[in-house]
Amino acid sequence: MNLDLTETQRLMQESLGGFLEAHVSLDQVRDLERNQGWDKALWKKLAEQGWLELVIRDGCEGADLVDLSLAVECLSRRAALVPFMEVAVCSRVLRASDADGATRSKIAEGDLVVTPALLEAVDDWNRIEAKVTSAGRLSGAKHFVDYGAEATHHLVAAKQDGEMGLFLVDANNARCEPLKTIGRTPSCQATYEAVPAERVAGEEAFIDMILLGRSLAALQCVGAMEEALEKTVQYARLREQFGQPIGRFQAVRHHCSDMAIRIASSRDLCFEAISALQAGNRDPLRPAAAKASASRAAPEVLMLAHQIHGGNGVIEENDLYFFTLRGKERSLAWGTVDECLEVIGERVDQPVDWL
Amino acid sequence: MIVDFRWSPEHVDFRENLRAFIRDWRTPELLQEYAETYGGGGERIGAFHRAIDERGWMRMCWPVEVGGGGRDTLYQYIFVEEMEYWGMPYGNLTFTSIAPSILAFGSEAQKQQYLPGIYRGELCFALGYSEPNAGTDLASLRTQATREGDEWVIQGQKIWTSLADVSTHIWLAVRTDPSASKHGGISIIIVPTDTPGVTIRPLHTMYGGHTNETFYDDVRVPLDHVVGEVNQGWPIIMHALNHERVALAATGALARIYDQLVDHLASEKADRLSDPVVRRSLAELQLELREHRALALRNAWIIAQGGTPISEASMAKISGTELRSGLANRAMDLLGRAGGLSADSLDGAPMDGRAEFNFRLSPIFRFGGGTNEVMRDIVAAAGLGLPR
Ligand SMILES: Cc1cc2nc3c(=O)[nH]c(=O)nc-3n(C[C@H](O)[C@H](O)[C@H](O)COP(=O)(O)OP(=O)(O)OC[C@H]3O[C@@H](n4cnc5c(N)ncnc54)[C@H](O)[C@@H]3O)c2cc1C
Repeated sequence: MNLDLTETQRLMQESLGGFLEAHVSLDQVRDLERNQGWDKALWKKLAEQGWLELVIRDGCEGADLVDLSLAVECLSRRAALVPFMEVAVCSRVLRASDADGATRSKIAEGDLVVTPALLEAVDDWNRIEAKVTSAGRLSGAKHFVDYGAEATHHLVAAKQDGEMGLFLVDANNARCEPLKTIGRTPSCQATYEAVPAERVAGEEAFIDMILLGRSLAALQCVGAMEEALEKTVQYARLREQFGQPIGRFQAVRHHCSDMAIRIASSRDLCFEAISALQAGNRDPLRPAAAKASASRAAPEVLMLAHQIHGGNGVIEENDLYFFTLRGKERSLAWGTVDECLEVIGERVDQPVDWL
Repeated sequence: MIVDFRWSPEHVDFRENLRAFIRDWRTPELLQEYAETYGGGGERIGAFHRAIDERGWMRMCWPVEVGGGGRDTLYQYIFVEEMEYWGMPYGNLTFTSIAPSILAFGSEAQKQQYLPGIYRGELCFALGYSEPNAGTDLASLRTQATREGDEWVIQGQKIWTSLADVSTHIWLAVRTDPSASKHGGISIIIVPTDTPGVTIRPLHTMYGGHTNETFYDDVRVPLDHVVGEVNQGWPIIMHALNHERVALAATGALARIYDQLVDHLASEKADRLSDPVVRRSLAELQLELREHRALALRNAWIIAQGGTPISEASMAKISGTELRSGLANRAMDLLGRAGGLSADSLDGAPMDGRAEFNFRLSPIFRFGGGTNEVMRDIVAAAGLGLPR
C-alpha cells in the first residue's frame, strides 16, 4: 500500500499547476465561455510543453492513470476550457490499435482531438441505437458530445451486426448543434447520416471507457470543490463582520470543515478507483462509488461555499461561479448519483472488503 | 373549534377565482415582460395589476381605513402562494415587506401617499439596506443623512439594491446620528429613485439576472420622507425583514418545481416514473415539501391570529431556502444529463430549465434576508431560549 504520490508526481502536479496559473486567465475563460468557445491557444501550449503526452504515454513507474488523473484535477481547478479528459479516455482506446504510433503522436501534438460520443437521447448507457452498416457507414444521433464541435474526431458507440463497438468518425462528417449546459462548457448534439466510420474497439473497450470516464469526471467534481474550498477559506479570513473575520464564527468554521470532510473522502475514493483501474481491475464498483460520492458532495459543498461568500459569491466578477456551475455539470456527466448508486446497489449481496 | 387543517369554503372559493383569473392573464408575453423587467413592470404587468386592483385582491387583508378589505390574512397567504406558483408579478417584496411596514410605522400622510400606489402596482420599492461592509452586521451601515434646513442630505453607497433600476423608490437605511449607539442612530428614509444624485450600476449574476450598486451623492429629500421616528429605524428594519422572511418561505415556487418534475417524467419519461427508485426519490422530495409547507402555513396562521412569528419565520426561511437548492439539485439528478440543460439551449430543456435555473438562483435566498446561520441563532435564542 502507498497512499502518497511519488516525488515525480508531486513535481508534475506543481509544475502543471504553475503552468496553468501562468497561461489560463480566468477573465479569458469568462470571455470564451460567453461565446461558447474553447481554449484553443491553451491546447496548443499544452501540446508544445509536452503535457498532452500524459494522455498517451505509459507513464512513469507504470502509473500513467494516476499521472493523467492529477492533470485532470489540475485542469479542473483552473476551470480550463480544454477537452483533456475527453481526449484522454479516447486515447486509451486508440492506442491499443496504434501499432506504428502515428495516432499517438498526432494526439500528443494536439492535432488529433477526439471526443467520446456515447449517450443518446434516452440518456441510458445500456441503450445505444446508433448503427453501422457492414460497409462501415454509421448513422445515429448522440447527445452531450462534449467538445464535439471543436474536436477533429468522435469516438462513437454504435452497433454493427448487433454487436457493440467504438467507431472513429471524422467530426467534419457529423452535424453538431451546440447545447447550452449549466457548466457553460462546449457540448453538442451530433447527428451522423451514413458517415464513414472505422471500428477501433469492441464492447469491452466501451465498458472500460465508462469506468475511466466516470472516475475522471468524479475527479473533475473534486477539483471544482477543492478550488471552491480554497477560495472560501481565503475569503473567510479576509471578510470581516462584527469587527472580526467571519472565519471566527463557529457556523462558518463548521461549514468549512464539512466541506473539507466531503472533499477528502471523495478525493480518496477517486484515487482508489483510479489505482484499481491502473491495476487492471475492471470491477465497476469503485468508479461508481467515486462518482456517486463526488456527484453528491459537489452541489452541497459548492452551496456551502456560496453561503460563506454571501452576496460577493454570485456576481460574475467573482470566479466562484465557474466551480459551482462546472461542479454541478460534472456531477451529471458520466453517471449521476442515482445511476452510480444503482451500480453499487446491484452488488450489495457481494461481501465488501472492509478490513 | 377542533383542530382542522382544511381551508374554509370562502378561502377555497377565493383560491379558485384567483386561479381562473391567473389562467386568463398568464400569457407568454406577460411572463416575458416580467422576466425582462425583473418585476419592475411594463404595459402588460400594469394592466394585470389594474385588473387585480379592480378585484381589490392586494389590499383585501389591509385595514378598511387605508382602503383595505379587512379580511383575515390567510387570504394574502393564498394570494402570494398562487402568484408564486404560477410565477406571476404581484409587487413581491414591495407588497409583502414594505407595505406592512408602512402600515405599522408610517404617518397617515405616508399611508395615503404610498399604499394605494402599491396595491395598484404603480409603485415599486427597492430595499436599500446592505453596504459593502455592512451585510450580516447591518447595523454598522455608514450611508449618512444629515439635516439641512427642511431637507435630508444623503451621502454614501449601498450594494445589492435589487430592482433599483426599475423602482420608483428606495427604502433606504441611513445613519442619522453618528454619535448614537450602533443600533440607535439609524433611520429609514424613502428616496424617489429619480432624485438627483442617485446613481445605479448593475451587477450581473450567475443566475442571469442582475442586482445593483447604488451611490448617493448629495441626495436631497424632504424631512417628512423619514418613516417613523428619526433614529428609530432599527426596529422598522427588523419588522420589514421579518416580513421578508415570511415571504421568502413561500411554498408556491417550490411546489411548482416538484409538480413540473413529476409532469415531465410522466409525459416524457414514463419508464423512469415507474422505476421504484425514482418514485422513492420523488416521495422524499414530496415529504420535504410537505414538511416545509407545514412551517409556512404555521407562520400564516400566527399572523392571521394577530401574532408576529419570529423564531417560526426563521425556521420557515431556513427550511424553504435550503429546500430550494435541494429540490433543484435532486430534480436535475433525476433528469440525468439533460437536467443540466439551460432553458435557452437547442430544443429547450426539460421543465423549461426550471430546475437548472433554480439551482443557480438558490444561493441568494440562503443568505439573503438574514443569513441562515443568523436564522439558526434566532431559533436557538428567541425560539428555544438558549443563552445568547
Ligand atoms: C442577488 C442579491 C440580491 C440582494 N438583494 C438585496 C436587496 O434588495 N437589498 C438589500 O439591502 N440587500 C440585498 N442583498 C444582500 C443580502 O441581504 C446580503 O447578501 C446578506 O445580508 C448577507 O450579507 P453579505 O453578503 O455581506 O454576507 P456576510 O455578512 O459577509 O456573511 C458571510 C458569511 O458569514 C456569516 N456570518 C456573518 N456574521 C456571522 C455571525 N455573527 N455568526 C455566524 N455567521 C456569520 C454569514 O452567515 C455568511 O455565511 C442581496 C444580495 C444578493 C446577492
